[in-house]
Amino acid sequence: MKERRLYFNNCLTAKPAPEVVEAMLPYLRENYYYPENFNRTGTESSKNLTRWKQTVAATIGAAAEEIHFTSGGTIANNIAIKGFLLANAAKGNHLICSVVDYPDLLANAGFFEQSGFEVTYLQVDEEGFIDLEQLKKSLRKETILFMTTSANHTVGTIQPLAEIRKILDSAGHHIYIHADACEAYGRIPIAVNNPHIDMMSVSGHKIYGPQGSGFLYLRKGVKINPLIHGIVRLDDLQTGGLSVANTAGLVKAIELIFADFEEYIGHLRELNSYFLEKVREKIPYIMVNGPVGDQRAPHNMNITFDYIEGEAIMLMLDQYEVSVATGSACASQGLKPNYVLKAMGRSHEQAHGSMKFTFSRYLNKQDIDELVDRLVPVVEKLREGSTLYPGN
Amino acid sequence: MEYSEKVLDHFMNPRNRGKLDNPDAVATEGSPACGDQVTVYLKVNPESLIIEDIKFQSYGCASNIATGSIITEMAKGKTLTEAKEIDWKDAASALDGLPPIKMHCSVLAVDTLRAAVKEYEVSHNLAPKEEFSKQTIVIELDKILYPKVGKSIVSLKMVKYVGWDKGIAVIDLDIPKFDEYRDNIIDEIKEHLEKYPEIKDIKITMS
Repeated sequence: MKERRLYFNNCLTAKPAPEVVEAMLPYLRENYYYPENFNRTGTESSKNLTRWKQTVAATIGAAAEEIHFTSGGTIANNIAIKGFLLANAAKGNHLICSVVDYPDLLANAGFFEQSGFEVTYLQVDEEGFIDLEQLKKSLRKETILFMTTSANHTVGTIQPLAEIRKILDSAGHHIYIHADACEAYGRIPIAVNNPHIDMMSVSGHKIYGPQGSGFLYLRKGVKINPLIHGIVRLDDLQTGGLSVANTAGLVKAIELIFADFEEYIGHLRELNSYFLEKVREKIPYIMVNGPVGDQRAPHNMNITFDYIEGEAIMLMLDQYEVSVATGSACASQGLKPNYVLKAMGRSHEQAHGSMKFTFSRYLNKQDIDELVDRLVPVVEKLREGSTLYPGN
Repeated sequence: MEYSEKVLDHFMNPRNRGKLDNPDAVATEGSPACGDQVTVYLKVNPESLIIEDIKFQSYGCASNIATGSIITEMAKGKTLTEAKEIDWKDAASALDGLPPIKMHCSVLAVDTLRAAVKEYEVSHNLAPKEEFSKQTIVIELDKILYPKVGKSIVSLKMVKYVGWDKGIAVIDLDIPKFDEYRDNIIDEIKEHLEKYPEIKDIKITMS
């Protein structure tokens, strides 16, 4: 009999909550209308939109008009970064990010580097925290933007935003912060006024919302150039036919998370530490990548299994109906080992043998036990035939 | 991208995996830093020169394990001469094909088998130890595949010039600056050439 699939790849995309799917259906079937003036369908849609923005804004201490619905995290990142730099280029041409940031941020930094901006890429320590001393030294009068991945997408490291804000404020002029919170939102508390954040992107499908949903928080008064020109339907920054149903689903997902936020986070933390404890008990020669404890996003665990390679672990687990991710070069399109782990000082071999397990609300301790039960023989079998395993 | 059923079978149930006690020849190729390594052990009948037993160990991905497995199956019971003739394309075909980006695993497995055969031949005075020359560099470069299409960088005419002078290998490549596999190819060239004690330095230029 085929075993049931265990899904530990929730950082790639998470299962939409059944309540989310239910909440979306009326907006696919009947209430698919876009906001319009004067007629009943349009004004009803308009009221929904205002209510949804209020719901989302309340979760981060923002105002409703500072919330812009988008079709995902990447589009939110692009609207914010490109729009901000194009609008503010006269104030300065220097931006700061780090070598471990999410590809959206790094690709945008590279894009602006090509067109006359200067970028400082901060280094990180062995747990993935950015070098604050380097940040202090990097500040210039031309620095206008600091971008960060609030919780790292590979190792879950939560960057110390309060300290970063303090350092940026010491520059003598306002340096704007754009936070890519696609991994952080809904997993750690975020308040946009403490510390002061100017822009923040969030993805819906990582928090049990539908794929193709997200939002951008844009602080009132922050100037950005609109990038997507066209007719305004749901949002003035992502113009055009943004999905009403997806937006309804996103808002439902957010409501669900914040209805029992503390309990939910506690559940993720409990699963995470239980998993690590079990792995440490049953599998020798392992190393945790990233910090352990409160400074790590609660849904993320990244472990290197020495002497074996990650694509093989991933594929063998897949054969045993387990979904996980790896930082091995062999599983990547460009045949490069994971850049976050390399920047943290891990060797090629350590990056090749790294596995990322990301947890969700739909998993429990029994699932973790089953995961470990399937993981142990996989690691043993692969080590048995490895040229590197001691004693072979 | 997905693997064939046969690759999955050889990955999940590798044939001849492990180590031989008192082997007649052993060879290891590849490096863990580049993500794959294979060791081949041979037991050879000194009269018939037939490979009576063969085992392999490896460090690498699923296709690394599957290609290690298939080459041992193909070589077992063959003479050394026949075993040397096993081509990386034959090994990949025997697995019902490999994705282009994984073809290099087949090259590594076959290369290790050939190195083990060579090791046996040299240690039993059946073949002379090969002298290092410019041709050795070209042979090594021919084992490096361009990942996107799974063909040798030599056959794709990406190698414009090979020079060899006083311990320095000079290689001129025709690979665009924005090519996503450029660094990977450079790393592979170094991995392939650095194992030769004759090479003191490798200079790679891009035209």
